[in-house]
Amino acid sequence: MREGCVVEVGFSEPVARYLCPVTVAAVADRGRQGWVHRSTIDDINMNNRILLKRNINELLARSAEAREVYLPLEGPGGDVQFLPLQEPKELDNLNLNYDQLIIPPKNIGFPQLESLFEFKDGEINPTVPVPSRHILFGLRACDLKGILFVDDFFRKNFEDIYYRHRTEGRLTVVVGCTSPSPNCFCTSTSTGPFIEDGFDLQLVDLGERYLVEVGSENGERFIGEFEELFLDASKDEIHHSGEVKVTAAKAVTLKVDFKEAIRRLTEDDVPREIYEEIAERCIYCGGCLYVCPTCTCFNLFDDMKEGEGARFRNWDGCVFEGYTREASGYNPRRDKCSRAARRYEHKLKYDYQETGISGCVGCGRCLTSCPVNIGISNFIEQLTGLDSKQ
Amino acid sequence: MKNIYLPHVVEIVDVQEETPDVKTFKLKFRDNVVEESFDYRPGQFVELSVFGEGEAPFCFSNSPTRRNVIECSVKRMGQVTEALHEMDTGDTVGIRGPYGNGFPLEDLKGKNLLFVAGGIGLAPLRSLINYCLDNRKDYKTLTIVNGARTSKDLMYRNEYPVWEKAKDTSLHLTVDCQEENWTCMVGVVPKVLEQIKPTCGNSVAIVCGPPIMIKFTMPTLLKLGFCEDAIITTLEMKMKCGLGQCGRCNIGHLYVCKDGPVFSYSQLKDKNFQF
Repeated sequence: MREGCVVEVGFSEPVARYLCPVTVAAVADRGRQGWVHRSTIDDINMNNRILLKRNINELLARSAEAREVYLPLEGPGGDVQFLPLQEPKELDNLNLNYDQLIIPPKNIGFPQLESLFEFKDGEINPTVPVPSRHILFGLRACDLKGILFVDDFFRKNFEDIYYRHRTEGRLTVVVGCTSPSPNCFCTSTSTGPFIEDGFDLQLVDLGERYLVEVGSENGERFIGEFEELFLDASKDEIHHSGEVKVTAAKAVTLKVDFKEAIRRLTEDDVPREIYEEIAERCIYCGGCLYVCPTCTCFNLFDDMKEGEGARFRNWDGCVFEGYTREASGYNPRRDKCSRAARRYEHKLKYDYQETGISGCVGCGRCLTSCPVNIGISNFIEQLTGLDSKQ
Repeated sequence: MKNIYLPHVVEIVDVQEETPDVKTFKLKFRDNVVEESFDYRPGQFVELSVFGEGEAPFCFSNSPTRRNVIECSVKRMGQVTEALHEMDTGDTVGIRGPYGNGFPLEDLKGKNLLFVAGGIGLAPLRSLINYCLDNRKDYKTLTIVNGARTSKDLMYRNEYPVWEKAKDTSLHLTVDCQEENWTCMVGVVPKVLEQIKPTCGNSVAIVCGPPIMIKFTMPTLLKLGFCEDAIITTLEMKMKCGLGQCGRCNIGHLYVCKDGPVFSYSQLKDKNFQF
């Protein structure tokens, strides 16, 4: 194999496909198998650009003149949140090297609480948001994977007009992750630290500058608008970006056998005891659902005062006892165990069976947020460590 | 783009008290264009809104063959049903749908049909029974087994004389315990089925009732010779959206709202569904 090939890196199967200027020897050096190319660099990514870090603020400030710009802003306590830029001064708090957003950015398309329509005296007025051009700048690969998953979800059965209007003017800019949190396992789920497709632009940190990969015409048009801020990338810089990606993948130290977990779930090879144990420990706080980039369960409810009111949609969660409790009091998932099982089965079995994509992006937030140390990576480790019935 | 969450406004044109805690609401669209385009099959359902209280799913209890109004029978049970029971002729509610698969009308053609209902479970079956009566030549014998806790809880009593008189149709009523002046059968639905011994040859059983009734009726039907594919039921579960999105009404990867509410027993058995 020669330089300029696309190399896929993984254990038993490719977990990430990289534009890789390093030779096969470098991959083999990791003690793992390497997969070679679909095409050469020239075919796949002819529009690599360079964005100098010192130009980032100008790019964002100018972008914000005609669009809403969401970006990772660091608060006084050090927490990083994905928020819309209100004034250029806030760019001082821009942090593109964050390890993880506490709350994933799925709320931009699917807010925690939103009004669907208002009513008064038997008249109904929809409150559908107006589509707007906006940029999600500085997403991590796993979070974009989550967003793409939720995109599919909201058009799977029918086109959800609220979600569609909140997302259709979107431009996504990934900043590949070079500082994973200890609970991240994106290389096991093939969802990071860099993304392969589905992005508009992806930035690779080369120190003083970013290599900018263009993933769509939308991304290309955006660059065109600010052409003077982008430089052409040299062969060396492209080479360097490949190395950065390999190093970034190595930095994700938590590995789980995701494929085997999916196999065992889809083949009903999961002992009930594993759920029973989780059910015993779980305090049903719902933290894992709240921070999950792909959780989409929702509730609909009305609020009315003096004849005027509105119907709202808000996040809900499958682990809550009231989620499936019927008006009669009967509850098909009354026992904690079946609620614990539902969460794992939904994400790792049914989503996968239905779409070929599991509902886990390997971000590890469920474990990070859990007061009793339950998380999908723990579940997978426990499951794949048990004897299989096969 | 269609906004599926937006209900149409319907007016309550009549309210019928069926039992001490069930009322049947007759609903008429305000908008004639919407009314013309609104079509449904027996076994499907709608989401009814009482604005300010919320939304809940209800099946159609009348047949689309007899439709100048939509009928939904509502048991007083929770927040929305409580509010509905307080409403009267002239009041308006929201409606969206129809949702769900409905009964497999084509597959039922040429079959003997056994309807097994418990309590308000007769509501979706009434829609199908009247549909079959209006398309009488397509279906063979119709056997209706209808049970309730007490005679006061029997639904649609004014329909019984019509059903009893219809060609090749029989009606078996039962209550859980003997009552004064009660001349029909006594005992829970599965026991009554064992006495009636309905034919299983070229037959399909359609079952709807409380989970406990379905649970004990299924083995009885199997014992009577009905095969798993020839037993169908329509399920209820808590639902919000009615379209397979909100997440709560799943059985395995199936959603009661979108893939049901009508399922065959064999489908549910595959999913280890517990009634």
